[in-house]
Amino acid sequence: MSQLKSGNSQDRESFELFAVAQNLLLREASALDTQQWDEWLALYTEDAIFWLPAWLDEYQTTSNVDQSMSYMYHESRLELSERVARITSNKSATAMPLPRTMHLVSAPFIAMLDNNEMMARSNSAVHVYDTRAMRHHITASRYEHILKRNANETWQIKSKKIILINDCMPSVIDFYAV
Amino acid sequence: MLQDNEISSLIEDQPGHHFSVDRRAFTDEKIFEAEMKSVFEGTWNFIGLETQLPEPHSFFTTYVGRQPIIVMRDADGKIGCYLNSCRHRGMLVCLFKQGNRKLHVCRYHNWAYDSGGRNRNVTFANEGAYGSEFAKQDHDLVSVRFDSYRGMMFASLNPDVPDLRYYLGDAKVFLDLLIDQSPIGQLELIPGGATYVFEGNWKLQFENGLDVHHFQAVHTSYTDIMAGRLQRGLLGNPVIEDDGSDVQGVFTFQHGHAVYWQAFARHPWGKPINYDMEFLESVRARVGRERAKWMLRSRNLTIFPNLQIVDVQTTQLRTWRPLSAGRTEMKAHCLGVVGEPSGARRYRMRAYEHFFDATGLATSDDNMMYELSQAGYAAEAGRTQGYQRGIGLDSRSAEIYARELGIAPVASMAGPARTDSETGMHAGYREWQRLLSAGAKR
Repeated sequence: MSQLKSGNSQDRESFELFAVAQNLLLREASALDTQQWDEWLALYTEDAIFWLPAWLDEYQTTSNVDQSMSYMYHESRLELSERVARITSNKSATAMPLPRTMHLVSAPFIAMLDNNEMMARSNSAVHVYDTRAMRHHITASRYEHILKRNANETWQIKSKKIILINDCMPSVIDFYAV
Repeated sequence: MLQDNEISSLIEDQPGHHFSVDRRAFTDEKIFEAEMKSVFEGTWNFIGLETQLPEPHSFFTTYVGRQPIIVMRDADGKIGCYLNSCRHRGMLVCLFKQGNRKLHVCRYHNWAYDSGGRNRNVTFANEGAYGSEFAKQDHDLVSVRFDSYRGMMFASLNPDVPDLRYYLGDAKVFLDLLIDQSPIGQLELIPGGATYVFEGNWKLQFENGLDVHHFQAVHTSYTDIMAGRLQRGLLGNPVIEDDGSDVQGVFTFQHGHAVYWQAFARHPWGKPINYDMEFLESVRARVGRERAKWMLRSRNLTIFPNLQIVDVQTTQLRTWRPLSAGRTEMKAHCLGVVGEPSGARRYRMRAYEHFFDATGLATSDDNMMYELSQAGYAAEAGRTQGYQRGIGLDSRSAEIYARELGIAPVASMAGPARTDSETGMHAGYREWQRLLSAGAKR
């Protein structure tokens, strides 16, 4: 685990990585809240995993996606783009209108997994406001992002796992609300 | 209290001519109270599958109507259903959703109950503070009438209900069409169920499960996604109807149960049962070609008043708990066939996740329809015209289908694709009205 200490080059690198992770998470939040869907999709690798596991009981979520259920489980950016296409298609009543959202994402706690991947754990509260019904809902989650450094030194999201603590849901919960 | 004339005015029912429902059925809290007492707390409610209780002392908690219950398997393996309320001063005894416990101890004063609901401890009983009156009282958990059909469990808070098999009637055959897909005749709720609440009356969900033609209007965004997946070869094997035709029908049964079914000459969306063709052949060998043909057909089943099971490109079992006239809690699981191959199971799970529940690409649109309907019902715009498709259609064409299954439904119809009858909903409303009347007299 890389931890901030004081002064030396390894710590500067740790701090840079922390800043990279922080920046990526905030860019994701901003893209979702401003409904910049293409920008959001571009943050993800082509083979990205997007996973909102279901709860098995009061304490444990699913760990094996082929043995127990997930609320959302997608294995590619293409599947994420399907969700985006659905809400921009003018065919889904869930987007008539889309709710307003505000993602509050905490500073991440990072750990290198190897030279080009890091795990970023953060907390998230997404305020979701339904303008038609004038209803406000908050989804409260723990995020586990795996971030990958590409050959050209840019970073992308390889995996986003969302542990939603308040999983008694309202009528609609989509990718932009978690 | 609902009066008789109020109850009789709630639906207008002229078989073969007209059917309509008063909007107040969806908005009036007095009617809601009567429903809870006379419908949900007045007759059999589905409560779960026996496979949720895998061992002696297994338990889970749920509701019948407004009343909390605990369902347990005792030390000898016998299943019982009890009110989850301590006999001392009423507190919830079991605080967890499911688990395994030999003894349930009430946290307030330590009264304790075993997995057969029997009281095992009345705190400080020997210290002499309880008199003879107390000694005469039964301190066991209050038991609830319980029965089970092939692993499907039902409970009734009203002890005066017909035998479960009589209550289910020929709707049982549609439960058999699910259960018999399994080589050992067992269904299971795949772990990781969903709970969600929509701001609408429970009857909006009841209707939707019997509403054939909303699909083309509501779920086009879903079908677009499926078209892309089909191109990428992700939808299993197409379902090919033995009889070669596109046909659909509705059966309704006594006590409000109903099913609509669809047969497609060729449907590109594969099902779990034919994901692995060897498995399908084993099912055909076991149940016969005719029954397997029905298993391949799409079926949306309602067991009145609280259960729906959908068997399409995946399978969902869902129940509802009405919270108020304008608010309903749904509980849903992916229904697994015990013994199916792992490829089919994986296909079933992913297909479920992509369609159902608040996070799915289809149910979320249905939930919007319920909330928008509930909002629209605030307008006093007279009775709606929404229960009339299919009225007066000749039912003789459906007889052949009833004969295939060996059933004698109360009503049936069949027709080509796009017939999309709404008559499946009538049976539930008739039973609803009958139960409201019966409950008003109790």
